[in-house]
Amino acid sequence: MSDNLIILIPFFPLLAAILIAILGPKLLKENSHYVTVLAFAASFFCSLMLFFSVQGQVVEEGTSFESVTTLWTWAAVDNAMIDADGHSVPFLIDVTLRSDALTSIMLCMVTFIATLVAIFGAGYMHGDRGYWRFFAYVSLFVFSMTMLVSVSNFLLLFVFWEAVGLCSYLLIGFWYHKPEASAAGKKAFLVNRVGDFGFALAIFLIWINYGTLNFHDYVVDGQVIIPGVFGQMRLGGALPYVQGGMATAICLLLMLGACGKSAQFPLHVWLPDAMEGPTPVSALIHAATMVTAGVYMVTRCTPLFHASPDAQVTVACIGGFTALLAGLIALTQHDLKRVLAYSTVSQLGYMFLALGTGSLAGIVAGMFHLFTHAFFKALLFLGSGSVMHAMGNVIDMRRFGGLRHLMPWTFRTFLVGCLALAGIFPFAGFWSKDAILASVHDRAYPGAHAHDSGHDADHDADEHATHSVALLSADHAGSNQPNAYTNIYVWLYRSACFTAFLTAFYTFRAFFLTFYGPQVIPDEAGHHAHESPPMMWIPLAILAVFAFLIGFVSELDHKFAHLLTSTPSLAFAGMQDTMQPGGFHMDIAISSTIIAVLGIALAAFLYLGHQREVEAISKLKLVAPLRALSLNKFYLDEIYTWAIVKPLEYLGIIYFWLDRWLVDGLVNLVGKLPVVLGSGLRNLQTGLLPFYSLSMVVAMVILLFLGQVLWGGG
Amino acid sequence: MSETALLQNYLLVGSILFGLGLTGFLIRRNLIVMFLCAEMMLQGVSLSLIAWGRYHNDWSGQMLVIFIITVAACEAGIALALVLALCRKSGSLDIVNWQNVREEGRMPYIDQEVPAEAVESEVWPTLTPAGIEPATDQQELYRSNV
Repeated sequence: MSDNLIILIPFFPLLAAILIAILGPKLLKENSHYVTVLAFAASFFCSLMLFFSVQGQVVEEGTSFESVTTLWTWAAVDNAMIDADGHSVPFLIDVTLRSDALTSIMLCMVTFIATLVAIFGAGYMHGDRGYWRFFAYVSLFVFSMTMLVSVSNFLLLFVFWEAVGLCSYLLIGFWYHKPEASAAGKKAFLVNRVGDFGFALAIFLIWINYGTLNFHDYVVDGQVIIPGVFGQMRLGGALPYVQGGMATAICLLLMLGACGKSAQFPLHVWLPDAMEGPTPVSALIHAATMVTAGVYMVTRCTPLFHASPDAQVTVACIGGFTALLAGLIALTQHDLKRVLAYSTVSQLGYMFLALGTGSLAGIVAGMFHLFTHAFFKALLFLGSGSVMHAMGNVIDMRRFGGLRHLMPWTFRTFLVGCLALAGIFPFAGFWSKDAILASVHDRAYPGAHAHDSGHDADHDADEHATHSVALLSADHAGSNQPNAYTNIYVWLYRSACFTAFLTAFYTFRAFFLTFYGPQVIPDEAGHHAHESPPMMWIPLAILAVFAFLIGFVSELDHKFAHLLTSTPSLAFAGMQDTMQPGGFHMDIAISSTIIAVLGIALAAFLYLGHQREVEAISKLKLVAPLRALSLNKFYLDEIYTWAIVKPLEYLGIIYFWLDRWLVDGLVNLVGKLPVVLGSGLRNLQTGLLPFYSLSMVVAMVILLFLGQVLWGGG
Repeated sequence: MSETALLQNYLLVGSILFGLGLTGFLIRRNLIVMFLCAEMMLQGVSLSLIAWGRYHNDWSGQMLVIFIITVAACEAGIALALVLALCRKSGSLDIVNWQNVREEGRMPYIDQEVPAEAVESEVWPTLTPAGIEPATDQQELYRSNV
């Protein structure tokens, strides 16, 4: 049954995209959203069924459950490569969909958010000229995204990786007549090219080293013909993973790809600009789903990263640094959507930080944060969309304020989203953020919780933790560098805690600026300045319920962790030696909550009521330059302009002239030659008939004479 | 008279005809005279062909001459039509009048002025009217009297 389900899930959005693309302009027009919403809902329903079927099968068949459905063979080349042992390796790309725990969780999340965003979008985009176009793009995006998380092959992953990038480009530049929007679309596309370049190189290296691009084992009649990269054979330890420098190279190139898609430093610059797109798109693509593709990919490639601690610490550093940087930038932005965009970058950094710990606990925490973040960040973006809708597309927080009475539903749901983002108990963000901090803490202070594990919530996890720490130290005793990079993780932990403070602060700064203080409404709002229609606030309410509950529910019995760790990529022998998920550290939970509350309190102190303190502080000699630094995004855009864009432009100019004058010049020279020769002969055209006939006679005499002399007549 | 001597005589006459024609073609500027000179060159060639044919005692020379005469007849028709058209355009038979069909930017060839023709010779011969008289065109009348 799961075979059919996994095909149906991407099929519905694809059908919707095709239908709307064909019928939209003439027939569907303002009714396009029915097709999309129905398709997404059907897709979500199938995803849920798949989820429960996978859950059941995991219980039945134990961990490392996967089921693959091959649709057709896309490419097949015999003897594509001779491997080290002299065997010839075929290049075989099947269009294969897989269902395992990771995929089913991602599918549920994507289709659920997509359904709500489509409903919201129907209200938000009402009356837009490109109404049907919007829904066609969104449907195409959901098709690509569902395929991205369910394909079982690096090459197809890359194909849909590009496809979601294309949809993102189309939707950022949706209002293409607006110069900023089309520029932002181009920027997103170009910055992503840098990452995709790395990803493509990583795929080449994987092909060279593993002789296949499939995740799963290629099985014929019960015999494994080609062992996949994350197949049962390799995960079971029958075949080795590449180690050393090559492993690091593969992982770092994969990480470059993930940096591009998931907006990590130094490729994060496109995401804030991507807010030029319609707000439902920002919620769906640039907060909840597409930008998490990098996190998904790194999670899927866990066995590869496991082979390279250097790469893992790089991932953690990039994640931690990006989280801090984006958090600092978000402090001073005036644009509500930009605050949320930087917060997305920051939270994605958190996820990468967790993945970079390299422990099972960390990876589960990263995916868990991805999962909860999707709900509350989509909620926040849709909330900001609702505000934007009411304020006549004004999004600058200096120009509106005190909207809590005007838009009660948006206000309440936004508050839920903010609390979840800040990580307040028992909202979703609290659980996932705590899991991340705990995993980083365990990596930074190995063994610390072996002693005070009495804090742990349940005894199973307690035993697990003790057991795993013992294994961890045994593992490290064998390696050359015991507790490699521990110092780095200590600093990353501190920075992550500080980022948690920043997160709470900037979230509630935006919240207070938007919903508290005297009621200010910009002129552009006109008659729109009222609560959004139910079509828009009901999705918000649903998301708010989930943002409130999802963390708590997933954390019950460690359901999420149990299911996720049954993913083949995570359930292999090597990962079992690392820190196991499920440890709930009361001390970290309390400290992170205190940090978050402090952040909220500071925001309330500064931004509630008169903002005298803000003005006073920002005028301080010490603070003013820092504030300018944050407001100008650490001048990264300017640095990129001068360091990369301008030199490339000059290089382009040089090449343009080289092409113009050197290459074209050579070609033109060949063309000019007959003209030059002709210009001499042209003067013989006197227009005098006697002259022509005389030259004919003379020429004939000469020819006859020459013939006589040279060939002796005849 | 021996065959060789006979051949020589014919070839001599043929080459004289050809040489006269060539010289005339090169030095005369009157379109019709030039055309006649070209015809004379053809006749010179034809004569030598016949002479050779007879010398070798086969028909191919004569056959070629028949062809030449046929082609020359056609050519004469076309050439005279062209000459007539050119003459109507420029009002003169002088070939130098057409030297503006030359490379752009090149200076024209200036010869000595052709002496003006006598008044009586300006009256062009008119054929005796025959058949149905076409509708009188004043323009046409004027031009034929120039």
